[in-house]
Amino acid sequence: MGERGKNEEMKHRRTNLEPLEQDKPDADKPETLESMGKPATQQKDVRLGREVQARIGQQLRAMYDDFVNQGVPQHITDLVRRLSEQD
Amino acid sequence: MKLDPAIRDQVLATVPSLRAFAISLCGNIDRADDLVQETLLRALSHIDSFEPGTNMPAWLFTILRNLFRSEYRKRRREVEDADGRYAESLKSHPEQTGRVEFEEFRTALAKLPADQREALILVGASGFSYEDAASICGCAVGTIKSRVNRARTRLADLLAIDSVDDFGPDRATRAVLAGGGRN
Repeated sequence: MGERGKNEEMKHRRTNLEPLEQDKPDADKPETLESMGKPATQQKDVRLGREVQARIGQQLRAMYDDFVNQGVPQHITDLVRRLSEQD
Repeated sequence: MKLDPAIRDQVLATVPSLRAFAISLCGNIDRADDLVQETLLRALSHIDSFEPGTNMPAWLFTILRNLFRSEYRKRRREVEDADGRYAESLKSHPEQTGRVEFEEFRTALAKLPADQREALILVGASGFSYEDAASICGCAVGTIKSRVNRARTRLADLLAIDSVDDFGPDRATRAVLAGGGRN
């Protein structure tokens, strides 16, 4: 499977990360008198933030999985087996 | 007394993720393997303090994290800029931690304060709940949440500088964003 396919797969993985404060639903509340004068780019920022955060989550898990998939050195596995046999 | 094989198997099953956590913390595979080995020695010699049926991964991660922290504090006394040294060890030996494609990400990760880095990894990669991560780090759940949020915000800033093309917005949008949102 190519890297692109792998990244697609990552997107669907479970994560424990909660939305950032700015991403929470109440950040999407409808425009009010108070918010009407604010620059539209602030809302764009929130959407950009979500994309970036999703991407960070994927990269973090990809890096970590790469470490997991390196396997465990034999001497460490042997250590556990040896210690668990000791009286 | 010999170790219950079921407990031993739980330990063995946790080792790959425990080691990935160690590499993420140290940025160096040799140091990470030493840390994992020391953790397992300590854990198995105090296996009586593990309550069967409770969370084995959280127990082992707690031991490793505490060992790493005490080593980190020691090194910090020796070397002023421990975080800088971590970053340097990643930069000069990218092959020590894995594939080159994650280099940029790892470099950004290395720039985070240690408490933010560990919180982000535990929750975002090791798969622990915020509650478990708080118990591993010996702090409140709210503290973990705020560390994770600060870590993500900082990483977004660091990564957007170099690879903004990967994140979608076109050049014009970026110019507006960079200009502080002038309309």
